[in-house]
Amino acid sequence: MNPLKTNDPLDTLLREQNQYIEDNGFTARVVSALPRRRARFWTHQTFLLAVTVGGAVLAVRWLPWENLPAFNWSALLSLNSHLLVPWAVVVSVVGALVWAAVSAVQEED
Amino acid sequence: MSFTDADLIARVLALEDQNAFGELVRRYQSPVRGFLTRLTRGDSHLADDLAQETFLKAWKKLHTFRGDAKLSTWLFGVAFNEFRGAARRRKELTLDDAENLPEEPATAINPEWRLDLTEALKRLNSNERTAVVLCCQNGLSHEEAAQVLDCPLGTVKTNVLRGKEKLRKWLAIAYENYESA
Repeated sequence: MNPLKTNDPLDTLLREQNQYIEDNGFTARVVSALPRRRARFWTHQTFLLAVTVGGAVLAVRWLPWENLPAFNWSALLSLNSHLLVPWAVVVSVVGALVWAAVSAVQEED
Repeated sequence: MSFTDADLIARVLALEDQNAFGELVRRYQSPVRGFLTRLTRGDSHLADDLAQETFLKAWKKLHTFRGDAKLSTWLFGVAFNEFRGAARRRKELTLDDAENLPEEPATAINPEWRLDLTEALKRLNSNERTAVVLCCQNGLSHEEAAQVLDCPLGTVKTNVLRGKEKLRKWLAIAYENYESA
């Protein structure tokens, strides 16, 4: 049932009271407060992802994977610098790449 | 050439066209601001702030508008959620604060019938006022109002019925006072 179709005088009174509100700059205020266009956002996100992928490729290409000492918890806990430093570099590079990827994805929200 | 709502929505979604969205705002600013003004009991500044938030939310969430309801109905839903969120955040604007007001309106004689109606609407509790404003002022069907308020159809019908009964009673009192003046 649509209440507007009734002949109830109260409905008539309520409808008459519902008068048009002049815009008076409201639309302009809303439009000026709109967030930046997503095109720019996509450009930024694409750039961030491209840099991340580029970094990953360089890391795979340049890190001395073949010279990386075998991972060993006991040697690591003994703070052996020959083992610790190469793995610290690897962890830093991988961590940076993961952080960049997560940041790029999270920006969508 | 005038675009339909669907044309404008398509432009907003495909091109992020702010001018198209501006046209939608221009079309619906009056009902949305009027609706929020009544929900906030005539606080037009708060209503305009909420209306602005409503349209900003609509800009972000327009892709969720499925088109199975009228755009106005969807916007009323967004506006109502904004009002409800604001009411929760602001202690002084609890949703049912009208319950604490006296049932009878002030007996001061008011020669303006419409002003009496405005005052009477303010005295309804939030659920009744919202249902009456949506159905009787903005022309939504009970089903559409239930969709906006995200509540059962029977609840909307009851709130409209109770709200109108109270309005009739209060307006009759005000009218009698006016007649006897």
